[in-house]
Amino acid sequence: MEFNRREVIFGATAVVAGAAGILPASAQKATTGKKTSWFAGTAVDNGVTFKTTNFAVIDKQWHKQMVKYKSSEPAGTVVVDTRHHFLYLIMENGTAIRYGVGVGRDGFQWFGRANIDRKALWPKWTPPPEMRKRQPNLPEFVDGGAPTNPLSARALYLFDGGDTGYRLHGTLEPGSIGKDVSSGCIRMFPEHVIDLYQRCPLGTAVQVLPHIADRAPPADDVQNG
Amino acid sequence: MTLFPKIIQAGVFAGLLAFASACSTTDSGGLTPSNPSDTLPNQAGGYTDDVAAGFENVQPGSEQDFILTAGRRIYFAQSSAALDDTAKATINNQIAFLQKYPKWFAKLQGFADDPGNNQQLSQQRADAVMNYMIAGGIAPGRLWAKGYGKDREVRSCSERACKVQNRRVVTNLRLQRED
Repeated sequence: MEFNRREVIFGATAVVAGAAGILPASAQKATTGKKTSWFAGTAVDNGVTFKTTNFAVIDKQWHKQMVKYKSSEPAGTVVVDTRHHFLYLIMENGTAIRYGVGVGRDGFQWFGRANIDRKALWPKWTPPPEMRKRQPNLPEFVDGGAPTNPLSARALYLFDGGDTGYRLHGTLEPGSIGKDVSSGCIRMFPEHVIDLYQRCPLGTAVQVLPHIADRAPPADDVQNG
Repeated sequence: MTLFPKIIQAGVFAGLLAFASACSTTDSGGLTPSNPSDTLPNQAGGYTDDVAAGFENVQPGSEQDFILTAGRRIYFAQSSAALDDTAKATINNQIAFLQKYPKWFAKLQGFADDPGNNQQLSQQRADAVMNYMIAGGIAPGRLWAKGYGKDREVRSCSERACKVQNRRVVTNLRLQRED
């Protein structure tokens, strides 16, 4: 949920500092030096105009795709593989829709099982007190749909008896997908979180894991860790 | 990616979670199909993260395109056949697809495992989706709705996360009308 300066600078100069964060207006392609926008254009969703993701510059692995899924979680479950930056929505017959995500940076990761007990369109963002302590210039809240609201188009709130404080939400920074940047929340391209919102009824089970069993690190990897 | 010692703990934790996974029945997770195309192609073999069979090269207007872009499932609140805003948004996406690709018919299957008369409720859910599609401009001749009783669910369970999956209508594409 928090903006991380390291992630938004990209080596490009075109950054816009906002009250609640910094928006990359464009990204520099290091290999060619050619300027390529993260954004393809604009679209309107529930009355809010937002910047659409330019998926042509996004690594294919972060695109939405139907993959095989060889574990036994029941259909309808959401599984997040934090280490590999994938969110799986389990479908029938050993498949899952996979989305690329951005996750919590070191020290801010959260793991556990929860349920989606609240969902919101263009949610208002209230930075948690500890975040405002770290970044005193953050406002008390940012209106839903505001161009500086980092939750973007949707938020799915994770509850475990009570509110865990963690959410699946959108992002203003397409370049942060596939990275460890947030304060523990799971961020997705706006188009993806809009899609996921449609597919997850209230009550949906969510597992946020360090990694899924099929992607367990090899033994020597662990020993060397 | 940098590795930290906590990965060791993390791996153990993931294993425990997988072991403790509730609701993990041995069924395929799908409904009993009345037609082979109601389930995805056989996914035997391969590994997690391999592209799913049938999705290697998704063509616009195909069933796979429908599943990935619009989605087949519409969800309902307990004991309700009312369409909420989320349900309407999904059906609007389905309507847009059906309008763009007029070769398809749609069989709307309603499901329910709520307290009370499931046969009636599941039919009401399927009818609600059909009526909304007709109001949205889809020719009634391209649609038919059928409700199922408790015998056909995602799976039998008491957990909430399980039960919310059973309160649904599934939109299945067909190339010709069935009765």
